[in-house]
Amino acid sequence: MALKAAEPRPANPGAASIQKPPKPEDQELARKLDEQAAIEGDLADRELRVANLRAEMSAFERRYLHFLGSRYTDLDECKAQLAEQFARQQPGNERAQQAARDARTRANETKSAAGEKSAHEPRAFEATPEMKRLYRDVAKRIHPDLTSDRDDRAKRQQLMAEANQAYEHGDEAQLVKILNQYECSPESVKGEGPGAELVRVIRRLSQARGRLAEIEAELQRMMRSDLYQLKERVGDAEKDGRDVLREMTAKVDEQIAQARARLENPEAASR
Amino acid sequence: MPSSEKSSTQQIVPVPTQALVMRSSALVARGLRDLSRDSNWLVKKVFSGRAPQVAVSPAGQVCALSPLVRQGSESIALYDVELGVPLLALAVPGDPEILALGKQAAFAWSPSGDRLVAAWGGWLPELHAFDLHAKKFLGAFGEYADFPAHLAWSDAGNYFAAASSGRDSAHVRLWEVAHRASGEMPFAAAPASEITVGTCRAWPDWRENGAVVGSDADETEFADSAAPAGFGRAAFSPDEGSLACVVEIEGEWADDSIAIVEVPSMRKQSVFHAQGHITDLAWTYDSRQIIFCSAGQASRLAADTMEPEALPFGAELCACHPHLPICLCFSSWLKNSAKGRLFLVDLNRLKIFDEHAAEGVVDLRWSLDGSKAYAVTSEGLAYIYEPPLL
Repeated sequence: MALKAAEPRPANPGAASIQKPPKPEDQELARKLDEQAAIEGDLADRELRVANLRAEMSAFERRYLHFLGSRYTDLDECKAQLAEQFARQQPGNERAQQAARDARTRANETKSAAGEKSAHEPRAFEATPEMKRLYRDVAKRIHPDLTSDRDDRAKRQQLMAEANQAYEHGDEAQLVKILNQYECSPESVKGEGPGAELVRVIRRLSQARGRLAEIEAELQRMMRSDLYQLKERVGDAEKDGRDVLREMTAKVDEQIAQARARLENPEAASR
Repeated sequence: MPSSEKSSTQQIVPVPTQALVMRSSALVARGLRDLSRDSNWLVKKVFSGRAPQVAVSPAGQVCALSPLVRQGSESIALYDVELGVPLLALAVPGDPEILALGKQAAFAWSPSGDRLVAAWGGWLPELHAFDLHAKKFLGAFGEYADFPAHLAWSDAGNYFAAASSGRDSAHVRLWEVAHRASGEMPFAAAPASEITVGTCRAWPDWRENGAVVGSDADETEFADSAAPAGFGRAAFSPDEGSLACVVEIEGEWADDSIAIVEVPSMRKQSVFHAQGHITDLAWTYDSRQIIFCSAGQASRLAADTMEPEALPFGAELCACHPHLPICLCFSSWLKNSAKGRLFLVDLNRLKIFDEHAAEGVVDLRWSLDGSKAYAVTSEGLAYIYEPPLL
C-alpha cells in the first residue's frame, strides 16, 4: 500500500515557472512514505514466514495425530483396563482403586486430545510459489497494521484471518477473492492533505514495527514449542531416509499388543 | 481510509497474534519424550556441582543442600527434575548469611510433594516445615540434641517420624500430622510418642541375642559390639499401622536390626536382627513385607512372621511401588563389572527388568500414582523411569 505524497500545488499560477522548494511536511511525508514502503515489504515477508510455519506445524500436527493419536488412545485405554482389572482383584487396595481411576481419567483425556482419526493420511504442508506470492501481496495490501483507521483495521483483521486460513488450506482462489474484495472496497480510497497523511503514515509505521516485533515473538514461541521440536526431528530424520512417525507408530503398536496380551492372560504375560 | 480518520487520541488496537492452537500438546510432549529415549529410562541433569544431601519428591522435585545457590555459602534449594532449574531456595527467619560448609542435612517430602520437613546444621536444632504450594515457611518443631539424620513421612500423610543416631540420647520421634489448610503448620511442637536407644535396650530381643549384661532393663549394660547405638532409616507401612526403623548397633562390622513398632503408640511389635549394616528399607504396597538392603544384599522380611528371605540380587537402596508388587532398586556394584545400576524387580516372580546403568544414586521415589519413578544422585543427575506399561 505504498502511498504517494501529494504533489505540492503552485501558490501562484502566474509564477509557475518558479520552482518553490517543497514544504518541510511534504519532504517529511515523502521520507516516511519511503520508509513505509520498505517496512510494508518486510512485514509481508515476515507474515509469509510466520504463516508458512504456522501452516507447516498445523499440517504436521494433523499427520502426527493421524499416526500416533489413535494409537496412544488405544494404549491408554488398555492401560486403564489393566488398572481396572488389577483394582477388581484387590478391592481392599485403595491405591490400586485410585490408580484405576487415574488411568481411566488419563485414557479419556488422551482420547479427547487425539480426536477422531481422519480417514486419509493428511498431507504435509507445501505452498506453491504462486500461493506464496499471492499471500505476500495480500499481506502487503491489507495488513491491519498498515492502517490507522479503526474501522478499516477491523475489516483488515477479518480479511487477514481469512487469508491465513486460505493459505493454510492452499486455497489460491480464496486469496485472490480476498485481495479483490479489499481493492474494491471504499476503505481503499486514500487522500486528503499532507499533514493528516503524515500523521497517518507515522502511526502506520509504528503499528507495523509493533507487528514485526509480535511476529518475531510468535516465531520464537512456535520454535520453542514441543510441536516444532518434534516436527524438526521428524524432518531431519526424513532427510536421512527415516520415517520417524512410522517408527513411533510401530513402537506404540508393540506396546498395545503387550498390553492386550496382559489383559487377555494376566498370569502368562511378563514384564 | 483517510476520510474516516479519527482524532489523534484514538487508541490503536493491537493485532492479536495468531498463535497455533494445540489441543494435542500433551500428546505431542509425550511423543517427543518417547522419541528422546531408547529405554524406559530418561536421564536429566537437575543441578550442577555436588550436593551431599538430596531428596526427591513423588512429584519430581529435588531438594538439595547445594553450594551453588549462594556463592561461598551453602543453602537448601529446590529444583524440578523436568525443568532442571532451581525453583526456590529455602530460608527460615534468622538464617545466617554466611555458613561453614559441610553441615548435616536431612529432608522428608510429604506424599503429595507440597510440604517438606528439613533439618540442617545451618539452622537452629529444630525440624523446619515448609509449604511449597504456598511458598511459605510454616514453622519449627521438634527441638533436638542429636541431629535427626533420617526423616520419614507416611504414605497417606498422617504421620511423620524423625530418627537420630546419637548414642545414648538417640531417638525415633513420631508426630501426627494435623489436617490443616495450605499454609498452616500441621505439626505440634512435641512429638506424640518416641522411643530411645534406652527403650530398645529394654526390649528382651537383645537379651535373647545374648548381648545383655545385667537383669534390670533400666540399668542394662551392653557389650559394645551388640549395643543399640542409634537409629537409621525409618519407613511407615502403607496402611500406617506400623513403623519399621533400623536400629544401628555399635561397631564398624556390627549387624543392624529392624524394629517394627506400632503407630502411633510406638509400642514394640517385633525385632529382626539382620546381617550387616542396613542401608535402606521399604514396605511393599500391601504392608505385608519389608524389603531391606544390608551389606549390599537385598532381602525381604515377612512383617507378621519376621521370616527373612535373601533375594537373588544385591542392592543398597530400594523403593516399593505404591500399588504393585514391584520394587525399584539401586546397586552400586554389578557382579564382574563394579558398575552401578538401577533396576526393577517383580516381587512375585523375582525377576529383574528394565536395568539401567547408574552411579552415585542417593534417593529413590515413586510418583503417587506409580506411573513414574525417580532416582537422583549427589552429582545432580536424575534418572526418570517412565514405562509405557508397568
